[in-house]
Amino acid sequence: MLELTGLRRTFGDVVALDDVTFTVPEGEIVGFVGPNGAGKTTAMRIALGVLTPDAGIVRWRGGPVDARVRRRFGYMPEERGLYPKMRVLDQLVYLARLHGVGRSAARNRAKATLEVLGVSARQHDRVEALSLGNQQRVQLAAALVHEPDLLVLDEPFSGLDPVGVDVLSGVLRRQAANHGVPVVFSSHQLDLVERLCDSVTLIDDGRIVAQGTIEELRAKRERRLFLVQVRGSGDGWHGSIPGVELTETTPQGDVLELADGVDEQRVLDLARASGDVVRFGPVHPTLAELFREVVGA
Amino acid sequence: MSTEPALDTTPTDRGAWRLVAARDFSVRLRDKGFVISTAITLSVLSVFILISAFGGDDDGPVVFRVGLVGADATSLEQPLEQAAADRGAELEVRIFDDEAEAEAALTREDVEAMLGSDRTITGLTAVPEPITQIVREAVVRARIRAGMDEAGASSAQIDELLDPPAIEVRTIEPQDPKREENAGIAFIAVLLAYGQLFGYGVWVATGVIEEKASRVVEILLSAIRPRQLLAGKIAGIGLLGIVQLAFIATFAIVLSLATGTLRLPGTAIGVALVVLAWFVMGFGFYAGLFAVSGSLVSRTEELQNAMVPINLIIFVSFFISIGALESPDSTLSVAASILPFSSALAMPVRIAMGSATVPQIVASIVLLVAGTAALVPLSARLYAGAVLKTGARVKLRDAWRSASATEA
Repeated sequence: MLELTGLRRTFGDVVALDDVTFTVPEGEIVGFVGPNGAGKTTAMRIALGVLTPDAGIVRWRGGPVDARVRRRFGYMPEERGLYPKMRVLDQLVYLARLHGVGRSAARNRAKATLEVLGVSARQHDRVEALSLGNQQRVQLAAALVHEPDLLVLDEPFSGLDPVGVDVLSGVLRRQAANHGVPVVFSSHQLDLVERLCDSVTLIDDGRIVAQGTIEELRAKRERRLFLVQVRGSGDGWHGSIPGVELTETTPQGDVLELADGVDEQRVLDLARASGDVVRFGPVHPTLAELFREVVGA
Repeated sequence: MSTEPALDTTPTDRGAWRLVAARDFSVRLRDKGFVISTAITLSVLSVFILISAFGGDDDGPVVFRVGLVGADATSLEQPLEQAAADRGAELEVRIFDDEAEAEAALTREDVEAMLGSDRTITGLTAVPEPITQIVREAVVRARIRAGMDEAGASSAQIDELLDPPAIEVRTIEPQDPKREENAGIAFIAVLLAYGQLFGYGVWVATGVIEEKASRVVEILLSAIRPRQLLAGKIAGIGLLGIVQLAFIATFAIVLSLATGTLRLPGTAIGVALVVLAWFVMGFGFYAGLFAVSGSLVSRTEELQNAMVPINLIIFVSFFISIGALESPDSTLSVAASILPFSSALAMPVRIAMGSATVPQIVASIVLLVAGTAALVPLSARLYAGAVLKTGARVKLRDAWRSASATEA
């Protein structure tokens, strides 16, 4: 389990992180979500030891993170980077060696990782000769090649085609489920995060603003929205109900917001009284909607 | 390395810099630029050595061809050859029937000068000075011989009188006879050392920028510490510099010996070793600074500006060292050979010229090593603070602040 506790980091006058605390449990995939400039990259760099925090600590399996522990982490930075003129396989072997893997094991693992990510045909090419999508796969291979104990991936899905997204999703699921590796990744593709992650941490302006499974986040939501479609009624059937407000009209029906204390069963009764109720149910907001709500965009 | 088990190990933290060094060494060894620059250095040196071996002012006999005209021409032939031989030159005499024939030979450049019956010397565009002197001496000798012969002296007596006794040359403060050759060796040495120090320093800086510009540095720093990356890079590139320098020096010495340019192999080998030793120390001193200047900028184009202060220091040191070839004992030369900023270039020159004293050499080494020891943690911290900041040029103060000691 990776624990970040009370992290604070400033760059000059800018507070990049302010009391950031969250955990990534063993075998779980945690989505790290927040608007641009919220502090995701800074938090990840601190977790990897690339940056030091002004305050707060990072703990791994209950102990401090030293150089030896850190070498067992796998990292994919937001700013992708490999040696452009170095051959793919050489590059991965070198990186594996830097992470402490022995010489011949490094070679085997580099080949195996390229195989899994579907780029083994390009292993003898220079990185600069690869398409961006393939470079992205090699970049991911660089994070995986030493079979890390923890995966920290900054925007791993950006720039991948749908096939690449599927490959990467599969890899992350296997890492978490089969190897028990905690995975934390940031992404703006919230549908992906929703599909893939066991829990989500939302950061805004250097602070953690929400945290938990998607269900928990939904449950914590203050707004109660219902999608209602009533055939044969006038538009204004709900206009006179106290505590009910129309927030949106969609082809599937009207989205009504119920104030606290308004019984949805009573609203349903009134709807039935005004016509045939085709649809009546709570609206589960997508992560994207939760995100917009939480960060106030 | 060979003892390392094949399966997963957790090598000690200390080994990481060696992996970095090995990569930086081997990548650059195969670099086209390296191969080309080595080839250029070797060819320039070869040309230099071959010119010294077979070119102009060597001590072999010089042949002058002089045309003689007139009845008594043959009587001058022997005195002319004698006078030339006394000067270590060789004279070839051609006899012409008349002046027109001789002048024709002169324009065909068959002869360098002609001596007419009226004792005038004619050249095509000019008369080489040695010929004038040889002819004058020969004429005087011929007249003496004729006069003495008339007075009844035997030809043996005349020969003895005309053969001057050997004159011994003595000096009160003799100059080291090897000094000139030493200066030549020292000049080549300081030229090589300067090129090596500067070239490999720039290589460290560009190596840092490459990693920064390609952003691979962030991945590297998630695996190893900045100081390991820095140390590995400097060690790998420095080792290549040493290997190249040793290779070039060996090549130059062997070629010089083979062509006879060099008569003092001991001195040359000694100077080569001194240059190598001071290159190692000087590179240690400067490489950290080069790395810092590389880490401050994000693009190679900006590097020139960032390196200006270091370039200036090395350049000035180079000029002082060239000056030390002329006056190795001047205050400036002595100071430059002891101060760590310039000693890597100036001290080898003074050692080669035989003017450095043991205390000066010791002081030079101590200061250079101490200076390096002081600079390394400083450079490592600045490097660590700057190398992840892409975009605008990083100010030294910001680099210093943003890196805490633990990050390096």
